[in-house]
Amino acid sequence: MGKAFDPALIIEFIPMLVKYLGVTLEILCFSILFGTILGIIVALPKLFHVPIARQIVTVYISFIRGTPILIQLFLVYYGLPAFLSIWDIDITRMDALYFVIITYSLSHGAIFAEIFRSAIQAIDVGQTEAAYSVGMKPIQSFFRIVFPQAIRIAFPNMANSVIGSLKDTSLAFTIGVMDMMGRGETLIASTAHALEVYISLSIVYYVIVLLFEKVFSVSEKYLNRYHSQGISSI
Amino acid sequence: MVIDFSFVWIAFKEILKAVPLTLILTFVPIVVGFLIGLAVALIRAHNIKFLSPIANFYVSFFRGTPAIMHIMVIYFGFPILLDYVIKKFNLPFQSNHVPIVVFVITALSLTAGSYLSEIIRSGISSVSKGQIEAAYTIGMNTFQVVKRIILPQALAQSVPNITNLIIGFLHTTSIAFLVSQKEITGAANIVASKNLKFLEAFIAAGIIYWAITLIIETIAYFLEKKAKSYSRSAF
Repeated sequence: MGKAFDPALIIEFIPMLVKYLGVTLEILCFSILFGTILGIIVALPKLFHVPIARQIVTVYISFIRGTPILIQLFLVYYGLPAFLSIWDIDITRMDALYFVIITYSLSHGAIFAEIFRSAIQAIDVGQTEAAYSVGMKPIQSFFRIVFPQAIRIAFPNMANSVIGSLKDTSLAFTIGVMDMMGRGETLIASTAHALEVYISLSIVYYVIVLLFEKVFSVSEKYLNRYHSQGISSI
Repeated sequence: MVIDFSFVWIAFKEILKAVPLTLILTFVPIVVGFLIGLAVALIRAHNIKFLSPIANFYVSFFRGTPAIMHIMVIYFGFPILLDYVIKKFNLPFQSNHVPIVVFVITALSLTAGSYLSEIIRSGISSVSKGQIEAAYTIGMNTFQVVKRIILPQALAQSVPNITNLIIGFLHTTSIAFLVSQKEITGAANIVASKNLKFLEAFIAAGIIYWAITLIIETIAYFLEKKAKSYSRSAF
């Protein structure tokens, strides 16, 4: 358990850890970007009732929601190189960071797909009918009428899952990625002050989560600007 | 791709032995966390001086940091605190006699408490004030109002949230393998390293987690149906 507890070290460690915040945010940004694209693709078969594709998508979503992110991380880390070796593609030397981004994108894809689907289905069918009746094409009706309303419903859920996955990035170090947590582990190895490192890490994560929450609540207000408070919508 | 399917089955049987520990790590923190959450929700609802800001900070901090931090801070910090107390009172006890699983359960209970306090709060606030007033006007006392009016509705309202929390916690227990607990992920890791077949072992572990999740979801579905059977929509 190492040396005696030294609170001064907590402050000293914070700048060392914050230097690696970039990697954590990199994982988060790329996985949200790819996850959003994947989420849209995955949501389509369910929205348009495409046979077979719909069943595949359902199993995919159920699996992602039914297993811990840690297991998914290990499955991608060990499974993807084996899977690609069928076509003689060798990725065993690929940086662990990419495996993390792939895993988190896959995980986001499933969760975002459910959020998008439920948000789009929450829009009243009358809205689309009204759009058609004024002569809009399906594409116009979707982008001008359904989408702006759906994004308003989807946003709080997406914000929650982004914050959740920010916290989940702390597991990336298990496959050897040098993010904040990974740097923390090396600090522990070199100084043997484990408790102080984990307290510093908690402070850093807490501050970032608070910042994210603030940004999200401001954006949510912006998205809701056409909805007066008193009258409940939908 | 070479997947040794017979080894997946061997690993599956081996990992299955770790399911009870995983379930303990899932449900004990939720039960303890429910008590913590109830206390915290009441403190926040009644706005008790001094305690209320602490409760607010507790909920915000534990919801704002990864569960792995709670486990690690308690795992490393608790023994230091315990040793300090033991030294002060000269107790015939050593902190390294405490099994690690106690630390994990303590940490996860605190995590669960913060999430459950929010769930309980939203459940209670879903009961409209008019119903509580109506109950008082027909002569119920506070205990009766809580027992007959607030709790049944608040709990029915909370079923989906609590289900999500239980599934979330089932998945969170996978972190416990980092402090060498032999739960599903830990067992998978041991089987994998012994035979150098990582993919197969984690496939087996994934299937087990998936199956448990589906079982919990099915039970929750029927529970929700039952809990909401009496409440019909007003419209």
